[in-house]
This record gives sequence, C-alpha cells and structure tokens, in this order.
Amino acid sequence: MTSPEVSTIILFIFYTVSTILAIFGTIGRNKKLKYGSCIFAVVAFLFQTILLINGFHKNFISGLSVGAYLQMLAWFIILCSIIATIKLKQILLLVFSAPVCLILFMISSPFLKLMINIPSTIKTSFYMFHIGSLYISLSLMLIAFISSISFLLIEKRIKHKARVKGVLADLPSISNLDKISYISTVLAFPFYTVGLLNGFFWSSSLFGSAISGDPKEIVSIFIWFCLAILFHNRIAKSWKGKKPAKLTILIFSLSLFSFIIVNTAMNSFHSFIR
Amino acid sequence: MENEIFLIGLNHRTAELHIREQFSLSSYCDSDTWPIKNDQVIYESFILSTCNRVEILAIGNKDVENLIIDSWASAKGSTSSELRPYVYIYKGIDAIKHLFSVASSLDSMVLGEPQILGQLKKAYRKAVELQKTGSILNRLLHKAFSVAKRVRTETSIASSAVSISYAAVELAKRIFGEMHSHSALLIGAGEMAELAALHLLQNGIQKIYVANRTFSKGRELALAFNGIAVPFEKMTSYLGESDIIISSTGSQEPIIHAKDIESILSIRKNRPMFFIDIAVPRDIDPDVNTFDNVYLYDIDDLKEVIEENMNNRQEEATKAEKIVDEEVAFFNDWLRNLELQPTILSLIQRTERIAHEELDHTLKHLPNLDESQKEALERMMIALTHKLNHSPLMFLKGSHMRKNKNNAERISLIRQVFDLDRQ
Repeated sequence: MTSPEVSTIILFIFYTVSTILAIFGTIGRNKKLKYGSCIFAVVAFLFQTILLINGFHKNFISGLSVGAYLQMLAWFIILCSIIATIKLKQILLLVFSAPVCLILFMISSPFLKLMINIPSTIKTSFYMFHIGSLYISLSLMLIAFISSISFLLIEKRIKHKARVKGVLADLPSISNLDKISYISTVLAFPFYTVGLLNGFFWSSSLFGSAISGDPKEIVSIFIWFCLAILFHNRIAKSWKGKKPAKLTILIFSLSLFSFIIVNTAMNSFHSFIR
Repeated sequence: MENEIFLIGLNHRTAELHIREQFSLSSYCDSDTWPIKNDQVIYESFILSTCNRVEILAIGNKDVENLIIDSWASAKGSTSSELRPYVYIYKGIDAIKHLFSVASSLDSMVLGEPQILGQLKKAYRKAVELQKTGSILNRLLHKAFSVAKRVRTETSIASSAVSISYAAVELAKRIFGEMHSHSALLIGAGEMAELAALHLLQNGIQKIYVANRTFSKGRELALAFNGIAVPFEKMTSYLGESDIIISSTGSQEPIIHAKDIESILSIRKNRPMFFIDIAVPRDIDPDVNTFDNVYLYDIDDLKEVIEENMNNRQEEATKAEKIVDEEVAFFNDWLRNLELQPTILSLIQRTERIAHEELDHTLKHLPNLDESQKEALERMMIALTHKLNHSPLMFLKGSHMRKNKNNAERISLIRQVFDLDRQ
C-alpha cells in the first residue's frame, strides 16, 4: 500500500503537469497541450481511484485526516469533470478543474496527519452519504461556476459589440456555457439537499435537535435557499443567461466561504482544523 | 551557366484595373499561346493571372527579365515601354519571398483571403500539364503551397471574418455554437442578407423562414434556400420560432419593436435571439438589445467587427512574415546546394574512378587472392575515397553555409585542385 505522503507526491506531480499544460494550452491557445492536461488529470484520477479501491481510506468510518478529506474532494471534482467533459463534449471543464485539484493537493499535504475524530454515535454509513453528496454537489457547483464566469465574460463582449478574442475565443458558445451551468446546478441541488438532510439527521440524533444554531448550519441553509431559488427558476421559469449565471457565482462563492472560512476560522462544529 | 529565379508581375498596387485587364494572361495559358518560350535562355516558366495580379515566374540565365517583359507585352499586342512602368521584378531570394507571400495571401488585396492559394494551384496544374515547369519550379511551387498551409495553421490570419455576411455567421456561432438545431428568419431580400442566409445554410442551419413584402419573391427565395415562405404581415408570429433574424427591408420605419420582444422571449422560454439588421434605415428598434438573451447587430456594428478583424489579420501578418522568411532561407539553402551538386558528383565520380583503376592495377599483382579478400580490398578503397572526399565536400558545403559569398570561387577552386574539368 502506498503511503499517504508518497501518493500525495505522485498525485501532486500529475496535477502539476496537468496544470502547467492547462495554463500554457489556454494562454497559447494550443489544443494539444489542453488535451495533454486532460490526459494527466484523468491519469491522476485513475491512480487515486486505484488507491481508494485498494483501501487507501480503509479507516474512513473511524476517522480521516483533513488532508485526506481535501484529496477526496479533488477526486469528486475530477470525477464530475470527466463525466461532464464526456457528456457535454467540452474539455474546458477538465482543463479548468486540474488547477483547482492542484490547489487542493497543495493545501492537503500539511494536514495528512491531522485526524478528524468523528464521534462514535455518528459513525454510520449516513456519514459517508453526508460527505459524498455534499462533495458531488460542490464539484457540480464548481463546474457551474466555471461555465457561468466564462458565460458572463463572453456575453458582455457580444452584447457590447466587442471582439471575443484571445483565451475567450476558444471557449464554447454562450448557449453551450449556459447549458453546462444549467445541467450542473440542476443536478447539484438534489445532492446538496440529501447532504443537508443527512446533517440534520445526525444533529438531531446527537444534540436532540436538527438545528443547533451552528454557523455552518446557518450558512448551509442560506446556500440551500439560494440554490433552491436557482433550481426553481431554471426549471419552472426557464431562467437563462446572465441572471442565473450571477446567482450561480454567488452560490459557489458562499459554498467556498462555508468550506474554507467557516470550517477553519469560525467556532463551529465543522471547524476541524481549529 | 548559373540559373536564377525571376518573378515579373503587376498587381492591384502597381496597376489600375484597366491596365490589369490590358495585360491579363488568363487566356494565354495553353501550349500555343503560352507567351514565354522555354529555350536555352529560359528553362522553366509559370504564369499566374487573376483579377488582381499577373505574375510570370521563370528560371533562366541572368538578365532574362527584358526578354520576359518583351514577350508578355507582345503577346498582348503592346510594347514593353507601355508595360514596364507597372511591373515589378524580383530575382533570386526576393522572387522566392514574393511567391511565398502571394501564396500565403500576405500580398492580397484582402489580407488572408483564401482564394489565391486555389488560383496558384490551378495555374501550377496548367503549367505542369504543358510541361513548362522543371525541377526548380516544381520544388518552389510545392514549397509555396506548404508555406501557405503553415501560415494558415500557425497564425490566425484567415480565422476572422472580413465580410458582413461571414461576420454575422461567426457571431451567430459564438452565441449558439452548432447551427444544426437552430432556425433563421430572413426578412426582406437584400443581397447581403441573402449571403448571410446562404452562409448560415452552409453552416448547417436547420430551417429558414423567408418573409418578404412581395410574397412571390419571398417564395422564390425560400425555394433557393430550401426554406419556408411566410406572409410578411405574420412575420412577428415567426419570431418566436426563429433564433437568428436577418432583416434588410427598404422600410422607412422600424418593423420590429422593443415592446414586442418581452412576449416573444416568454414564448421562447428565454432562449437567446440574434438580430442582424442590415437595413438602412434600420428595421429593428435599437432598444431590442437591452433585453437579456437578445443580441442586436446593425450594419455599423458588423462593419466595426470587420475592421477589428482586419486589424487582427494585420497583426497576424507579422507572424506570417516571420514564417515566410524562415521558409525562404530553407529554400534558398536547397537552391544553393543544388548548385554544388554537379561539383560534388564530379568529385565523387573522379575519386572512385581513380580508386577502381588503382585497385585493378594492384589485383593484377595479387593473383592468389580469393573473392572475399578482393571484396575486402575494394571496400577499403571505397571507404578511403569517402574519407578523403569528406574535407573537400565540407569545404564546398561550408562555403554555402557562409551565406554563399564565394560560392562560385570555391566551386572553381575545388574543380581546379581536383582537376574535375579535364575530359
């Protein structure tokens, strides 16, 4: 079994190469380099999958390090990006996801030994669903975020009769970007809901109440409301274009705030690093 | 006798249209009318005659340009003094560079236009058919085609639209991506609008509606585009079904108003709409552009897009010129190397002949050698000549690497030292 330190170095190298190719491919508008970036990201994903299958995280229920959690998120991001790339035939998603995964691996390395002790009362498979569904949701929101940012940049230029040039010229059409964002957010909402309900269930079993006023809970409920508004308007009111793109960016920004600031800097049940 | 490449021509910069017409050689490209006779002075020739340029490329002895100009003028029933003020003459490396620039569309009226390469290929096919080209022009023209391809692949000189209709289609692609699942509505029947519709069709648009004040004309147009003619009065009801709307009527008032758009967007479930207003005065209320998911471009906007694209092509031309310079240097190297070939061949043949003579002489004194020993001896002699030839050959090629300053002198020196001119 490869140790977490060695596997982190190997995956870090894969994602570094993938990111370098992604950056040079995007700036230099070179398709071959972009495809190269995708290949390295997929290789990294497969390697990490093999490690997971072989029991890399065999102590998942009894406790996992903060670093391992971040690496798991990277795995989910690449998984969603690969599926989206195949389904939507847009390599943009994998190309942009690789640098995000590299950042996650960089952050993860100092925290490989920092264990998160899960109370024995919630060491159930529900816990896996809680993390898994929220990670899938966050990965999908990242895809929606990338598409929405790209959409707004290109749409603004078209609307104001400016030339779409440079890096933007290689991105998909605004209709396709809106479609990617739409599919990602519509799928993210049910996963987020499942993840949240799981959280409330544990909270209820642990503290006797589903909502305890924890900052993470409040922020998560607010994100859920925003996501619900987006989901409803996308489905029922056929929202397209700028409005949903802006709301998607807000939701993802809030999710990042919840994931980074609340988990690390605030006094919360989820503030593992503190 | 030293061969030189000559390029004599006139183009849209040096000659007005009536002069280009007067000296056009487009109907002088068969074996009877070919104006340049391949003989002892001119070995190879090639003619390119398009609406914007007439160019004659030839391989010959020094100073054949007068002969070419005379032949050209006389073929057109004129005199060389009449033709001469409009022509440019390029020789050697300058001729190569000019040809590569023409093939790469760097010398065209519309920078980066794709037609010139096709015209050049067609002219080359004709010259080959008439056996007017030889080893140098064949190589030169094939190289010109590959340079043009390289320029197109490595720069974006031809990637952006420089006509109104192409610019409109490019914008539509930027909004919708693939055209296959989209439909367009053509209002009116202006030439530019028709061209835009044609380009949309070529890009795979699924359906085209045509609305014209004169229904019969609209039906005619719809037939041409394999589309559907719709009554002009009911045109607004088809807006909901159309993603791209191209309007070019002669109306003095707008025919599509901003107030209509909200309800249309609701019918379309906010799917984007792209309005292209080519009419003057404008057919579409400019406020239409204020709606989300609606994009309106009028004739001035499209002209601005084209202008910007032209500037971009100009920037890309600088990159393309570097590629041309690089390829000119490669071709020139090959050409200069070609000059050395007879001397190289003579040197190798002479030394090998001496080696064989000496070998035969030696073998007469060694009658007891078996076949394998004889072969070994022969191999040794050949290897020896190769090794001895290495330095003089490097000397010859080295002179060519030093920009060919004393190429003729060095060839002469080697020929004298090794006595290569003795019969």
